[in-house]
Amino acid sequence: MGQNSHSPVLMAVWDLSVTVEDLGADAPPITVSVTSDLHIGGVILKLVEKSQVKRDWSDHALWWEQKQQWLLRTAWTLEKCGIQADAGLIFMAQHKSLRLGLPNGLTLRLRACFSGPVFRTVLGICKMLNIRRPEELSLLRPVEEKKRKKDKDLSEELHDLTEVPLTSVSRPCLYNGMPAHFADSLQTEKVYKMLSVSQPAPAPEAIAKLYRPASVVDKAHIHSRWLDSSRSLMQQGVQQNDRLWLRFKYYCFHDLEPKYDVVRLTQMYEQARWAILLEDIDCTEEEMLLFGAIQYHINKLSLTEPQTMTSSPAMDDLDSALQGLEVKLDGAESSPQDMLENLTAPELNDYLKIFRPKRLTLKGYKQYWFKFKDASISYYKSKEESLGEPIQQINLKGCEAAPDVNVAGQKFCIKLLIPAPEGMNEVYLRCENEEQYSRWMAACRLASKGKSLADRLFQSEVQSILSFLAMQQTNPNTHTDDSMSINTHSLVSPRYSKKYKVKQLTPRILEAYQNVAQLSLTDALLRFLQIWQALPDFGISFVVVRFKGSRKDEVLGIAPNRLIRIDLGVGDVVKTWRYNNMRQWNVNWDIRQVAIEFDGNVNMAFSCVTADCKIVHEFIGGYIFMSTRSREQSDTLNEELFHKLTGGHEAL
Amino acid sequence: LECNQDAMFSDLLGEMDLLTQSLGVETLPPEPPSSSSKEMNFSMGFADMNVESLNELEENDLDALMADLMADLNDTEEKLGGQKEAEAPHTDLPPASHGFSFYPESSLSTPTSPERGPNTFSAPLEEIEAQMKADKIKLALEKLKEAKVKKLVVKVVMHDGSSKTLMVDERQTVRDVLDNLFEKTHCDCNVDWSLSETNPELQLERGFEEHENLVDPLSAWTRDSENKVLFQERPDKYEVFKNPQNFYLWKKDKKTIKDMKDRDKELLVEENFCGTSIIVPDLEGVLYLREDGKKSWKQRLFLLRASGIYYVPKGKSKTSRDLVCFVQFDNVNVYYGKEFKNKYKAPTDFCFVLKHPQIQKESQYIKYLCCDDAWTMNLWVTGIRIAKYGKSLYENYKTSMKKAAITTAWTNRTAGTTSIPSTPSPTTKAKASGQANGHAPQPPAEPVAKVGNAPPPPPPMLPTQILPPPPPDPVLPPPPPPLANKKSPPATSVPRQLPSLPTSFPPSPTSMANLPPPPPSLSQDDSSESPPDFLPPPPPTLGFGPGAGSLPPPPPVSFLPPPPPDPGFPLPPPPPDPAFCPVTNRDSLPAPPPRQSNIGAGAPPPPPPPPSASAGLQSTPSVRRTGPPPPKRTTPPLAAPGGGDFMSELAKAMAKKRGNQ
Repeated sequence: MGQNSHSPVLMAVWDLSVTVEDLGADAPPITVSVTSDLHIGGVILKLVEKSQVKRDWSDHALWWEQKQQWLLRTAWTLEKCGIQADAGLIFMAQHKSLRLGLPNGLTLRLRACFSGPVFRTVLGICKMLNIRRPEELSLLRPVEEKKRKKDKDLSEELHDLTEVPLTSVSRPCLYNGMPAHFADSLQTEKVYKMLSVSQPAPAPEAIAKLYRPASVVDKAHIHSRWLDSSRSLMQQGVQQNDRLWLRFKYYCFHDLEPKYDVVRLTQMYEQARWAILLEDIDCTEEEMLLFGAIQYHINKLSLTEPQTMTSSPAMDDLDSALQGLEVKLDGAESSPQDMLENLTAPELNDYLKIFRPKRLTLKGYKQYWFKFKDASISYYKSKEESLGEPIQQINLKGCEAAPDVNVAGQKFCIKLLIPAPEGMNEVYLRCENEEQYSRWMAACRLASKGKSLADRLFQSEVQSILSFLAMQQTNPNTHTDDSMSINTHSLVSPRYSKKYKVKQLTPRILEAYQNVAQLSLTDALLRFLQIWQALPDFGISFVVVRFKGSRKDEVLGIAPNRLIRIDLGVGDVVKTWRYNNMRQWNVNWDIRQVAIEFDGNVNMAFSCVTADCKIVHEFIGGYIFMSTRSREQSDTLNEELFHKLTGGHEAL
Repeated sequence: LECNQDAMFSDLLGEMDLLTQSLGVETLPPEPPSSSSKEMNFSMGFADMNVESLNELEENDLDALMADLMADLNDTEEKLGGQKEAEAPHTDLPPASHGFSFYPESSLSTPTSPERGPNTFSAPLEEIEAQMKADKIKLALEKLKEAKVKKLVVKVVMHDGSSKTLMVDERQTVRDVLDNLFEKTHCDCNVDWSLSETNPELQLERGFEEHENLVDPLSAWTRDSENKVLFQERPDKYEVFKNPQNFYLWKKDKKTIKDMKDRDKELLVEENFCGTSIIVPDLEGVLYLREDGKKSWKQRLFLLRASGIYYVPKGKSKTSRDLVCFVQFDNVNVYYGKEFKNKYKAPTDFCFVLKHPQIQKESQYIKYLCCDDAWTMNLWVTGIRIAKYGKSLYENYKTSMKKAAITTAWTNRTAGTTSIPSTPSPTTKAKASGQANGHAPQPPAEPVAKVGNAPPPPPPMLPTQILPPPPPDPVLPPPPPPLANKKSPPATSVPRQLPSLPTSFPPSPTSMANLPPPPPSLSQDDSSESPPDFLPPPPPTLGFGPGAGSLPPPPPVSFLPPPPPDPGFPLPPPPPDPAFCPVTNRDSLPAPPPRQSNIGAGAPPPPPPPPSASAGLQSTPSVRRTGPPPPKRTTPPLAAPGGGDFMSELAKAMAKKRGNQ
């Protein structure tokens, strides 16, 4: 070979043996003769020539097993790298298959970069999955599954994206409403659907089986599993086909735009949903019921209209343009009629029974002829007298209408709390059957919000009440093929599943459901996230630490805008520090202590018990990084700054 | 002018309303000829002025209305005809906004604009005629709808005890009414001005939120109600935006709160009101609760959450799952209670109440809470308002600030040109109403202004006087003030800024650093990244610098001119050079340096942005579109603005779609 001609000094030629991973585990290493001034790229070339294998080696690089490092600087000489004949090098692909646990609980196999820092790896994964703002996510090691997996892991459904060529991922254009690289095959299309449509409600037993943190300390242990963003997967001992979780790590979701964030929004919702179902974040009973109601709504919409979410912007334009055209064409005839209808609202007329608990004169239910019109109910002695003056007219605006239903007992009552200057009047209306009940209930619901029967929502309201009634038929003999019917225990955490029977839970979820039933799928997802974000404990990652000068373990809560010191015994917040008062923080890597200085000479220091101090450091630096993002430069990701703020020794 | 017509129309309606009222159909207490004397103010109840909606008008009124309607119809007909004839020369007709200015109050745009769309591109004549016919019907129906709009005549008690009477229709928000009052009173229009209702029977008071429709709460009043609407300054109204730390950092020591820097305040507001979710202050504390029916007050530990007020049951912990819901906010409003110590034997006078707005009298459905001090009460009432109204509260504040800024600029300007008396400051008198609630007393205002600004003693009530003069579009900004004025109101805007990094942090990135990281440049020596798709050949022995021989990374400078707009997607790798590595089947095997250098030297220099890159970039904008998406057109009236170039939009959308496939 001609290298010698380059250097005046004759360099000793020696043998370097390199294992080529692709040749199989048993294949002997390939030995190439090299000189110390040969650069890594040259070694690779020799290797490839000698291997006699014709294929695309472009993704391959040398991994130095002993030193746990990649030799990626191909311009460096062997001497500069410090490689000698005894170095056990492995020539392997930088992108390897990884089993990725998604926020929705499903596992996806894809090719991820094992050589770049994890931060970069996550960028790559998110690009492939079409998730914007990848800096908010990271990878962590999964919680070990309980050891009764005889047949379990065989049945685990794997979605596979490994066939997607990495080069194609950078093309952002859309086909059929999904990024191009998903449109290649039916299989990848299915994967995209899995990513962008929320999963059906899990079986209550499945929820109960999963790991739930029982205490703050348990929650703290989860955070010891985050990978180091500044080092590569290989360096952190992750092997090909290992399982890792992809999760939103930093709870400040920048620039959420439903139109472009279909996958991001869906996965965020899934993470939030599981956090609530698994009691990872605490909420009150009322909040749990509302979460349950929105989940029910999202489930329902995801089954019926998944396509609207995934359509591309261009398609949307076209659709709306066409729709506009349609409306314009028939606008001449129909809309005045619509308006007329609005002016002359339809009514409901029926014999119903009424019961007013406070009126001593009326004992029990009494039957009258009822008329519902313009957000108020009037009743008459009989149908014949309905032209005259009603016995009473009740305005329902601002009232509360609650179900009092027992399907098994064929009891269909509407409990109305009607506001009046003197207070709330309680009135019960008893209907004959489901059908009648659903119409009157829907009317009452709309009227309570000041809407009339002419409102388009009336029919859908009736439908949703009927489907909820169907859910209450817990009788196993009746048909359960209806996709709408869900066990309401799947919508709440096991604590509430234990506390309430299905027939107790269902009416309460129905009640909460009324307030969200009109939301579109996107709005429902957003609403769920909003309520999640409004929880007091939202976004706090816990770590057990020991504060300097203290002898007991305490909990440090790391939130998007502040640090919280929590007393382990009582669970009380002892102190909070806000980042924007922070002057500087230092990590003493030798004694693994984090020291922070705040305005006004406030100092604190702690060592970490449950998680490595690099993880804590990265959390704090990461949140400060997140706060530097602005809307103006919304698409620039300053990776360097991230590493500066979160990196190890050399960065600070 | 046409635009006055509507104002006149509403005047007319107002007059009708008044007329029917003064007919004495209602049991109106004899109205003293306006608030001419001061002692009158105290005895004057707000008689139920809110009665007449147009539905109940007398027959002759209806006739008048019909006549009016017909006139309007004819007018539109003429207009439509004119428009059609004068299709090309628009000289004599106002521009497209014409339809809007014609019905300034209407929330529905009139059909005059939508019909412009079909008109512009060639439609058969019959169609146009049919369209016009439909439009006329629509217009008539809208007019009918308009006629259904509820209108109330409301007497507002001013800060000085005098009163003004306004007509308010049900679509008007409190903000609109405030603007109207600003016109009438020449007050300084600061953000604290608010409308509130008092309920003497329950001894309650509540400031209306500006997004509320004023008619709604007033409709809940009983016929014999003593309730009043007050126009006054309420410092508590937007205190949370001026001093957010009082609410969000209430646990911190007094000094930290007091020494809060403006920058940090802004940050707090941003944090809690500008995110995807509104954050409610996490209040918790022992409050007294008035027991149902009993006259005792019992202490309980209450917590405020976005979903409602909770309390900790006896023997339970504060964890979320143990909390018991005390009240949710969907159906209740929060009121200040006045002098409850006396009325209900409350432990203090710092009480607040939660009740359904309809409830006007003593009831077990009213929830009474009592705090230790005014501070705590303010904390809770504000916290509840944030939980209940969320983002609207902040929007209201921003609108108020804008309004105040404009007015300040305006007054400053007029103050310069005219003379002293126009500086308004009605503050002095607001004291009385403010203090009962335990608000911080108003800062004393300069007494000089009093003369010029105090509303003149209203003359005996004349119909013309009472009617709200058609407000000369209150939103209309005054002539642009001097630039200095425009910028001067310091507190007006809550600038959104980056949180600055703590001083010791690494300096924020330079412009260079902001450039997109990819394509991977070789000169950037490190292990952090290797381009996934090819191995850059290492040429240490080359004549030129490292990396220059290989394809992608031109020196950064050459990259500057066309900065890729979307760094979120790293550039696609440069096109593989097939001549490069004949050994391998495809591209990218790193060639040894010598060979490389030969080829590299002969090869053309790398094109700064590889062609494939630019291709990739071109398609990027279609994903993250820069322009706002076209409004969804669902109903024709709403489609008005875009109607004209509908076809071109359609064509554009088609083109886009084609481009994407």
